[in-house]
Amino acid sequence: MLQGYGPLLLKGLAMTIGVSLAAFAVAFVLGLLGASAKLYGGRVLRTIAEIYTVVIRGVPELVLILLIYYGTPTLIQTLVRTFGPESMSRFRVDFDPFIAGVCTLGLIYGAFATEVFRGAIRSIPKGQIEAGIAYGMTGFTLIRMVIFPQMLRFAISGLGNVWLVLVKATALISAIQLDELMRSAELASANTREPFTFYLIAALLYLSVTVVSLALIKRTEQFAFRGNEARG
Amino acid sequence: MNFEIIINALPKLFDGLGVTLTLTAITVVLGLLIAVPLAIARSSGPAWLNAIVFAYTFFFRGTPLLVQLYLVYYGSGQFRPQLEAANLWWFFRDPWNCAILTFTLSTAAYTTEIIRGAILAVPTGQREAAKAYGMTPFQRTRMVILPQAFSYAIPTYMNEIVFQLQATALVSLITIPDLTGVATVIANRTYAHYELYLTAALFYLVVVYALLLVLKQVERRLTHHMTV
Amino acid sequence: MQAQSQVAFDPSQGTAETVLSVDNLHKSFGALEVLKGISLEAHKGDVISILGSSGSGKSTFLRCLNLLETPSTGDIRLKGEPVFSSKDPKFSTKRDRGLTARQRSRMPMVFQGFNLWSHMTILQNVMAAPSKVLNRPAHEVEELAMSVLERVGIANKRDMYPSQLSGGQQQRAAIARALAMKPTLILFDEPTSALDPELVGEVLRVMRKLAEEHVTMLVVTHEMNFARDVSTKVVFLHQGLVEEEGTPDEVFGSPKSQRCREFLSTTSY
Repeated sequence: MLQGYGPLLLKGLAMTIGVSLAAFAVAFVLGLLGASAKLYGGRVLRTIAEIYTVVIRGVPELVLILLIYYGTPTLIQTLVRTFGPESMSRFRVDFDPFIAGVCTLGLIYGAFATEVFRGAIRSIPKGQIEAGIAYGMTGFTLIRMVIFPQMLRFAISGLGNVWLVLVKATALISAIQLDELMRSAELASANTREPFTFYLIAALLYLSVTVVSLALIKRTEQFAFRGNEARG
Repeated sequence: MNFEIIINALPKLFDGLGVTLTLTAITVVLGLLIAVPLAIARSSGPAWLNAIVFAYTFFFRGTPLLVQLYLVYYGSGQFRPQLEAANLWWFFRDPWNCAILTFTLSTAAYTTEIIRGAILAVPTGQREAAKAYGMTPFQRTRMVILPQAFSYAIPTYMNEIVFQLQATALVSLITIPDLTGVATVIANRTYAHYELYLTAALFYLVVVYALLLVLKQVERRLTHHMTV
Repeated sequence: MQAQSQVAFDPSQGTAETVLSVDNLHKSFGALEVLKGISLEAHKGDVISILGSSGSGKSTFLRCLNLLETPSTGDIRLKGEPVFSSKDPKFSTKRDRGLTARQRSRMPMVFQGFNLWSHMTILQNVMAAPSKVLNRPAHEVEELAMSVLERVGIANKRDMYPSQLSGGQQQRAAIARALAMKPTLILFDEPTSALDPELVGEVLRVMRKLAEEHVTMLVVTHEMNFARDVSTKVVFLHQGLVEEEGTPDEVFGSPKSQRCREFLSTTSY
């Protein structure tokens, strides 16, 4: 039934997972930075972080992906050709689709992670932080010993959601020709003239990623709230 | 930045925005109509019905919308002879029909779970009072449970409407000239990619936050008594 | 030591019409038997206080009468008509929903947590069941609603939502909701237990007034003063059985059962 396209689909699935993991890592870091900026930053940092989340949440992922993948190189080329030296008048940049995909998805979901982390930091009971201060912790020690570990467990379910949505959003970067699962399904469909079969298989593969992720998120949550059964 | 291209493109982009808003409105309304009975089935129906509805919402929430769209639009081609025999091919041949079908089923799945969660959040005491005063199950659902569930669901549901508006950008990939589709077509012709996608992004930003503002007002009206 | 439950106690009420008769009511949750055979009669105008420590089954008993819990076995009759009967499937396992709804509407409940419908104004709360369950015409229901709201002293709050009222006002509104059904009797499930102490008085005053107007009431309560001064009959439940029953003077003055004596002595009133 798969007419030899099974390995291609599996390779696509591996690429999907790879892009997802890399983009999630980017989003995680951006989220931490964004949340810190929003909660502890000065006026400038707070404003930048605010604009970042407002813009990202107001524009469809597909448009952002197209804007960054097609728009950025043109923008850089124009800038270099206009303001750069004469010798660079034929300057060209091309984005590697993998890096473009990771950066774009990371940037998009960094905005959502920012809100997750901000909410998580706010749900740390005040007494926990006060106890840290009362025992002489300051700044980095306080963050490392109390705020970060406590914040993480409140963030798990939100981050889990970000992950699930992110994995599904990777299908969009087939639009920029990265050979992930969706594009493998497109290729197989075109060559075999059995689009339903291959898109259905792709859908079920995405679904299996969702199922496995859900189970892992639940276990992580149970682990994070060990000793806190009433809250977990 | 080539402003001439942007200005020349504006009328077409507004047409595209019209398509985007139309698609959003149609699918959100149809989705809500489907979601209400499904949510009731999911929270108080028999186990087998609950299982079927859950399988449906799980599939549509657990897979990318793009795959669903291609499954319907391109996938139907695999069954063309059968669909022609059943006199249904005209429906699937049209990208509009496929888009409306897929997007309705998708938003209905999310909305079903939103409303189900809200129904479960209605306090037991409210149901018991309705029972104790002799209301039938139908009356309880219509007079007490649903009105309260809607109040709980509204903030989440408003987000779903905004997500749906953004999600319609995908229809550009099956040749429907929505806002994103129009921007893509003109960008490919003029090579002015960042101008057009940036303008489209601005359009979306304005519409999304205007919509949020309106929805917030609606929410305040509908739930003022719950938040006192 | 168990009192004879089938006999009407208060001689002055002896000739009054029997509105509620409960015979040998049992209720189990799984292996746990909460009610072990309770029998009780209420006559028109009776105010019966049901006392007992937590776990005695008094709330479950009340919830069984309204069929919020389905009894395991036994009989419940309202004005002679069966409400529940384990001998007759029509009134137990194969119960008709419309019939259940009709009987519930004749003995509505006032809840500990008020349970006013939070999305309706006070007036809408009072009007909902009479117009939709009893199908009375709108103008008649509104008139009736206003008159019961006046009876409990909160007619001026008619257009407010429950969350805008104090607990005492909410409970009075809930009593108005019950009165608007023109019920055969009203069930009260610890109506003052969820209230701040300073709000208890206004609710008890309304209930005293209803007692004086000969509204038939079944009250699960911890308010001993109310039970002693207002009731026509006091029933003390212990471990799912009627341990003692009689007039307030009998039960409070010279309780026959050891457990009842202990309960009364540990409860300050």
